[in-house]
Amino acid sequence: MDYRPLATGATTKKRFFKRRKFNMHKLALGVSLAALLVAGAAQAEDPAATEFRESFLAGDLDWSAVTERAQAEGTVNLYYWGGSDPLNVWMDSVVAPAMSELGVTLNPVRITGTKDAVDLVLAELGSGKMVGEGSVDAIWLNGENFSTLKEQDALFGAFAPLLPNAKNIEWDESDPRSLLNLRDFGVTTGGAEVPWSGEQYVCALNSDRVSAEEVPHTFEEMQGYLEANPGKFIYVKPPHYIGNTFVQQAIYAHNPDGTGAEPFQQSLEELGTSELARLITPGLEYLKNLEPLLLGGDSGTPRYPEDQNALDGLFLNGEVNFNCKFGLYAVATGLSQGTYPEGAQEFVFPEGNMIKNKNYLAIPANAPNPAAALVLADYMTTVEAQISKLEFTGMPAGIDPWLLSEEDAAALAAASPGHTGLDASELDANIAPDTNATLVDVIEATWLEYIERDSTDSIETIVTRAAENLNQ
Amino acid sequence: MARSHDSALKERMWLWLQLSPVLLILAVLFGGALVLAVVQSLGFAPWFGVNTFPSFQYFGALWGSASFWQSLWLTLYYATVSTVIALAMGIALALALVRTFPGKHLYKYIYKLPLMIPYTVGIALAVIMLGNGGMISRLAAFFGLISDPSQFPQILKTHAGWGIIAVYVWKQVPFITLAIYAVMLGIGRETEEAAAILGANRWQILTQVTLPQIMPGIVSSTLICFAFNVGAFEAPFILGGGFPDTLPVVAWRYFNDADYTLQLQGMATVVSIALVAGVILFSYLAIYRRFERKIGRT
Repeated sequence: MDYRPLATGATTKKRFFKRRKFNMHKLALGVSLAALLVAGAAQAEDPAATEFRESFLAGDLDWSAVTERAQAEGTVNLYYWGGSDPLNVWMDSVVAPAMSELGVTLNPVRITGTKDAVDLVLAELGSGKMVGEGSVDAIWLNGENFSTLKEQDALFGAFAPLLPNAKNIEWDESDPRSLLNLRDFGVTTGGAEVPWSGEQYVCALNSDRVSAEEVPHTFEEMQGYLEANPGKFIYVKPPHYIGNTFVQQAIYAHNPDGTGAEPFQQSLEELGTSELARLITPGLEYLKNLEPLLLGGDSGTPRYPEDQNALDGLFLNGEVNFNCKFGLYAVATGLSQGTYPEGAQEFVFPEGNMIKNKNYLAIPANAPNPAAALVLADYMTTVEAQISKLEFTGMPAGIDPWLLSEEDAAALAAASPGHTGLDASELDANIAPDTNATLVDVIEATWLEYIERDSTDSIETIVTRAAENLNQ
Repeated sequence: MARSHDSALKERMWLWLQLSPVLLILAVLFGGALVLAVVQSLGFAPWFGVNTFPSFQYFGALWGSASFWQSLWLTLYYATVSTVIALAMGIALALALVRTFPGKHLYKYIYKLPLMIPYTVGIALAVIMLGNGGMISRLAAFFGLISDPSQFPQILKTHAGWGIIAVYVWKQVPFITLAIYAVMLGIGRETEEAAAILGANRWQILTQVTLPQIMPGIVSSTLICFAFNVGAFEAPFILGGGFPDTLPVVAWRYFNDADYTLQLQGMATVVSIALVAGVILFSYLAIYRRFERKIGRT
């Protein structure tokens, strides 16, 4: 999941009362202005912070030295997507007091899109602000945003395995289950981000409107259902990551070689643009043919929702009968909060292609309070924090239960809100991996060009152009 | 003589001193942002590793695509239609307010309510009331007129933009009314009464006496509303019909694209909005000045 911007105003009422909304673009612009002013000036440098970073990453520091410095720094600025109320409540009522006990004040900066925080880090780095000088200590991210920071060499370093609570995470490459900790959308994490939460793309249906024998499990069945009930399905519009993921699943399912997600684990250089174009063509053709059957499709342009809140609203109001998004426990959470209709149930769709991934906390290279950021990352990977996060928000654990004591593992299992309509084994049987981060943007740009803008160019032309633009 | 010249100089100095705080803010914040937007749209963004200044490639790419012109047309269409509707309603309301009628005092408070409510809340109201899953649709279902949200006519999320226009009009009618009503109160009713005594009918009074007199109020308020509508983002973003979007939404999409270099195209879009709005507003003002000269006011 990369937390792309949601609507600045949103379709659900509660979003209007979000506190501390923060316009990062203005800030980034201001920072760019500052960058102009200091361009050519000497690079700002905080020697003490630089030394701390180097000795910590070299493994020369005890954890007590880190906590000591963290208390001296005093605050930690966590930038994260603030579109989930339960998560915001959890941050304020659980994480903030826990951090205070560790002698650090948590400053949660809720942003509309993770890319804003990435932009800010890059702008500050561009203006020569190094470690100890920036304004972002930690970011909740994954996928493209991590890949961008990694490419721009804007990460603090391989801190994750050095945290005391790294013992809760599988780092051993010989165990296939470690893949999600070592690779983020196919990009090696290199310990520069620590797993914080897990997710699986699960679709929900409204059982009051869809009878048991009608339930579609494959894309072909979905098309058949929509031919009988036009307009009753819609997916979130790319470039939102929820939409990108749906498009990726359609592409996996329509892979002309029948190899599913396998070729999409390679990077763009390894795969090559013409091969990518060949592999994604059937999936995109399917989505294009589906357009007239989607919500609002009879009027010529489907009414794609901009974000998951908008889709939740359509689902709750009975405008569509399905709701596909990242949400292993979305139905349980949605029913308890009243954001899902009473007949909501999970179902297996698309068979064998339900993308599962993790999301992470990363520390940027110019974190103003690097020690406090490490303390925060360590707290977030404790068993207690993971259990209370799951209870509050329904976000699955980022730590690996098989590494925990029996008692802790049982407590974690007991904290999960549970499933409606199917059980965990069915979900586990249909897992697919994420698409490589270098391909995501190209596929997204291709969807926008081919489906949204109805481009008449061939998919190969579009893919080649997109790949060139993104690799400038 | 010299003394009076001195005092005039002092007077002028004092005037500039009074103006300086505002000028400073305008120059730094507004001027600075504008300059930055222009240089970025011409290819200056070293923090993304892009520096082709000055090049017009971003404007070229933008203006060369058909969708830009569709977006421009949509932007101007929403702005113009909503300004015209709000103006017609505002004039009617202001004309009513200068008369006496029962409940006028209460009404004078009620009509200003939308002024105090933010646009975002107005947009939320539109979603709650006019959406396919909204209140009106639910009432229709309750009375058995429809059995499914999809049977309710689609008002929001279409390119006809009735949701957007509704929000703009709802919010801007009181603003335009207030401006015209203030002008009317300043003029008084004597000229209208004189025209009536001289035998003018209602229509003649409205078109030949009242409208020319309230023209300054009309021009200033429509100017502000139109300029806002061209640059507004939230309403078209939430209530609009998706691609092709209005220009501010297009700019926002460029800014949020994974491809960083598209931010420069986003800046080119922003500068294009400023250019188009600027040209339209200045021509509007120029036409108005000519009109003023023609009727002998300066």
